[in-house]
Amino acid sequence: MLSVQNLQKVFFPGTENERHILKNVSLKVYDGDFISVIGNNGAGKSTLLNTIAGTLSADAGSINLENKNVIKKSVSYRSRWMSRVFQDPKMGTAGELSVAENLVLAQSHVRTTSLKWYRKKGQWETFQELLKPLDMGLEDRLKTQVKYLSGGQRQALSLLMATLSKPKLLLLDEHTAALDPKTSRDVMNLTDEIVNREKLTTMMITHKMSDALKYGNRLIMVQDGQITLDVSGKDKQELDSEELVGMFDN
Amino acid sequence: MLISSLGQGLLWAPLVIGVFITFRILDIPDLTTEGSFPFGAAMTISLMLNGQSAFTATLMGFLAGCLGGFVTGILDTKLHIPSLLAGILTMTGLYSVNMHVMGKSNVPLLTQKVLTDYLPSWATEIQTIVLGVIIVGLVILVLYLLFKTRLGLSLMATGNNKNMSAANGINTDGMIIFGYTISNGLIALSGSLIAQSNGYADIGMGIGTIVIGLASVLVGEIFLRGRNILVRLSAMVIGAILYRFLLTVAMGLGFPPDDLKILSAIILVIVICVPIVRNKLKTRKQLKIYLSQLTEGEQDEQITSVKRTKFTKGVLSGDRE
Repeated sequence: MLSVQNLQKVFFPGTENERHILKNVSLKVYDGDFISVIGNNGAGKSTLLNTIAGTLSADAGSINLENKNVIKKSVSYRSRWMSRVFQDPKMGTAGELSVAENLVLAQSHVRTTSLKWYRKKGQWETFQELLKPLDMGLEDRLKTQVKYLSGGQRQALSLLMATLSKPKLLLLDEHTAALDPKTSRDVMNLTDEIVNREKLTTMMITHKMSDALKYGNRLIMVQDGQITLDVSGKDKQELDSEELVGMFDN
Repeated sequence: MLISSLGQGLLWAPLVIGVFITFRILDIPDLTTEGSFPFGAAMTISLMLNGQSAFTATLMGFLAGCLGGFVTGILDTKLHIPSLLAGILTMTGLYSVNMHVMGKSNVPLLTQKVLTDYLPSWATEIQTIVLGVIIVGLVILVLYLLFKTRLGLSLMATGNNKNMSAANGINTDGMIIFGYTISNGLIALSGSLIAQSNGYADIGMGIGTIVIGLASVLVGEIFLRGRNILVRLSAMVIGAILYRFLLTVAMGLGFPPDDLKILSAIILVIVICVPIVRNKLKTRKQLKIYLSQLTEGEQDEQITSVKRTKFTKGVLSGDRE
């Protein structure tokens, strides 16, 4: 599905601040994978996700998505196949626009410059149906500007929006890190539920070892710009938290 | 006086709506205004002197502005020049372009028919108002419809959150260029109309237009607030008219025309501060009401809790005191 090969990323090359963040990274993601990505700060997890999404350009290597090399394509082009949820709840939604308008934006990632009316018949009911399971009362606040929602509500909405277009690949970048423990757990449960229901291929960066172990069928560890651990299935289930933390020191 | 500021205000309204698009929708203070406004004027007057009809000349004036905005858009998005600087660069470059278009720094019309001459022979002020209403009505209608389409929504989303828009498949660079383009087209349209109304184009007529535009946007928003795009666009027209009215009043008070620029600047400072102060006062007042309710509630609560304590003591610990 997604195949990353020999990816290189160097920041500030030729200066004394030169940092080789991604060192010849190769990774294959298969259909239906739910991968937890862990690693130290600055190890290159976010850089990896950003180069896959296209917000950062890779310096060398290839990224093949559904057998197309997308390495030179823009973020908006790649968004036909992938969606993202950012760490900051403010990043994933447009605060000035209403909940409904945000959902319209997320519904389709193509023909965004069409001259057709964006309000459609029956849309309102569809959105209400979508929001009801969140149990946050958002179904009655479709007209509310998103900036008036709480962080948890915004993040839940971001998650819903990211999955609305049924992406081939869902990228989650520490999407629960900015939330309080309870909301964080709720959003994580919601994530798991949606990913399983829609059978989405997912890559999730997290700093919570418990989440990394509990969710997903595969776990990779990024250290110093390289993938140092890649376990899936039964091997992953046998891992425990302390073992993982121990590996951080190596 | 009121009538003339109404007419003039309507001719300035497209400029204010143009500034609104970059400043409010895209969240960019675009200085191209100072160049595209006289560009529209220069283009229109020169074409009319060369025998084109007022309609063609006005349309070309609009398109000239679009071109100016397009250039700023490219500088901003493709060459990654900060938007403020990109505007300054285009504005500076347009000065030379305008001089070339006009040939000299001030070009008067001779006997050419301007747009208002196509209207029945009412008084000039009435003609101006009717022309203004027609053009502004058309502009608002087109923009209102635009913002109901997916394209309009993409434009609004881009101005609000670029990262999120790109992640949702919107070509944000394209949207920003598009915004600059229509914005400056409208600004040049104003330049074209004002030049026709004045009967000449002048190289210096763009000076201070961004201040006028921004001040009018803010004045409009002070008097008419809302989220609906129709309300917001109407607020811009009201802003343009009120602003003209303010200037007319100032002139009536005996300020010489040379002082109008500093007056514009002062008005802008005031209208920037008014909403801030107003919000602060409003919040303080609401807070006071809220807190006073809270203390009243607390007192009630204390009374009940005192009673309750007595009660529990009686039940649980007998009459041991």
